[in-house]
Amino acid sequence: MIKSPSPKNSPVILELRDVVKTYTSGNTQFNALDGVSLQIRKGEFVSITGPSGSGKSTLMHIIGLLDNPTSGQVLLEEQDISHLNENEMAKVRNVTLGFVFQQFNLLPKTSSLENAMLPLLYSDVPKPAREGLAIEMLTKVGLDQKLKNTPAQLSGGQQQRVAIARALINDPKIILADEPTGNLDSKSGTEVMKLFHHLHEKEGRTIVLVTHDPELAQQANRVIIIKDGKVSTENK
Amino acid sequence: MLKPSLDDLIKSSIRSILKNKGRTILTSLGIIIGVTSVILLTSIGTGLKIYITEQFDSLGANTIFVAPGKIFDDNGGFSSSGGGAGRFISTSFSLEDISNLKRSLRGNTIVPVAVASADIKSPNANKSEVSIIGSTYQYGASSNNLPSAGNGRWFTKEEEDKKDAVVILGNTIANDLFPSGNALGKKIIIKSKNFRVIGILDAKGGSFGGPDVDQYAFTPIGIAFNLVGNQKVNQILIKTPNKDLVAETKLEVEKVMLKRFEEDAFTVFDSSQLLNSINSIIGILTIGLSGIAAISLVVGGIGIMNIMLVTVSERTKEIGLRKAIGAYPRAILIQFLIEAVILSCIGGFIGVLLGWLGSLAINNFFPAQVTLSSIAIAFGVSAIVGIIFGVAPARKASKLSPIEALRYE
Repeated sequence: MIKSPSPKNSPVILELRDVVKTYTSGNTQFNALDGVSLQIRKGEFVSITGPSGSGKSTLMHIIGLLDNPTSGQVLLEEQDISHLNENEMAKVRNVTLGFVFQQFNLLPKTSSLENAMLPLLYSDVPKPAREGLAIEMLTKVGLDQKLKNTPAQLSGGQQQRVAIARALINDPKIILADEPTGNLDSKSGTEVMKLFHHLHEKEGRTIVLVTHDPELAQQANRVIIIKDGKVSTENK
Repeated sequence: MLKPSLDDLIKSSIRSILKNKGRTILTSLGIIIGVTSVILLTSIGTGLKIYITEQFDSLGANTIFVAPGKIFDDNGGFSSSGGGAGRFISTSFSLEDISNLKRSLRGNTIVPVAVASADIKSPNANKSEVSIIGSTYQYGASSNNLPSAGNGRWFTKEEEDKKDAVVILGNTIANDLFPSGNALGKKIIIKSKNFRVIGILDAKGGSFGGPDVDQYAFTPIGIAFNLVGNQKVNQILIKTPNKDLVAETKLEVEKVMLKRFEEDAFTVFDSSQLLNSINSIIGILTIGLSGIAAISLVVGGIGIMNIMLVTVSERTKEIGLRKAIGAYPRAILIQFLIEAVILSCIGGFIGVLLGWLGSLAINNFFPAQVTLSSIAIAFGVSAIVGIIFGVAPARKASKLSPIEALRYE
């Protein structure tokens, strides 16, 4: 597998500084993240891996701006965003992040076009421009013939590609993919990974891939291994 | 600016409601039944009011009635006891009152009414205890009860003075006595005396527990006096030359009557007064019945809340996804609230339609009329029910944590 060169000198998009996330249950406290510091640069393809219970998911939630850290800082383009309220976080998620999930999470009985357009409902993109954008993104992932199809009429791989089109539609700074091939057969999985590589290499997209599969993780040009809530290794 | 925009929200709500058509109808059923019954009941109330108003209008606005007993209470409603049911029966007027009134109220038509009851026989049938209204030659015109062309005539002053054995029959009684038709000119027997039928009235229809003119027979007043065996006048009808004189004439009538009777022993009233009292009773009944029907709107609202809570659980993942891609809590709240409101408005719409069709059907045998205001109220209430019972599920949805929601299986 060809690895594209890591853009070492490009600006840092997202930085975590000594991030701690503590969960309390009853009298016991548990640090899911125990002082994580890391940087993600523009145009990088980073994977985050680790065994289950390592804190990998918690880290993904913090990077995905779905959760606030207990302590430490999260900087998005040098702006501290660790203390935003729910509404502000939603706004940042909308314009900054593109999510791709293991379960695709497409709206059932809803066309590919409508599914891809969904994030624009919550954005400032004017209505007349939305459908054109969605068609553009679906064409990019090779589904320009399936605009009117509902998820039930699509294969798993096609569904995941609709989800990728949805993730791209707001031109996000980071694409965050959580086990994107976990629900796919190996052939469709390979195709989806090819698409990620294409987006990284040809469009210079920043991609963060979260996976428990070490082999898949190795396809990225940097692998962050999490163990017991800490960064244990960074392969560069 | 609201994001998503209202039309986006409504569009997506309608779409998700249409994805579950069967469930939508079942969920709206409570609202449908509630709105249908509210519309039907108010339409019957309205129709009844209009019908009664028409009936009174046909009497003419310039008619004054003098009746025994105290009919109205001080608030304009009907008296429950007041001057007393006892007096209502014991008081009666006499021909002396009629001549007193005639003397004081020149220019007005004064018509005494005496009521008797007797068995009537025809060659074909027997009718027992028929109400026989004895009055003057002016009664037919004054009470708007003249036979129409081809159906005979009212009796004349000469016939009245000579106590001629002539009778005018109500429509139903005429048909009962002569099932083969054409009672006009035939002989009937009232208390073993022969009478000639000189007129037949048009069918007026029942008047809801009130006197049914179709069941009456009308004779000169002297005949009724003979049948009862005394000269008691049960009611007096006064026609003023025009309706502007009604108020002033009423005062004059009261003055005359007070010379011989106590204040509570009689009532002087005009048709508008009676109409107002009847209409206020119908109004209260309509509101009361509609209120009972509205209970099913509340039950319907609970049904909507129930199904919306199920929907929120079912769509937990969708809510998680929407939040992950940038939906702020209020956007989710409004989305589910609008769904609940649309759901109940669909129920309201179907209910209005069914209620309207139902009242059209009822109108064939009972007066019923749907008013715009009742449609507006029923529709508004169902929207409000949607909001009230949609808030709890919508809040639940908006408060879901995106992390939990995405993980939900």
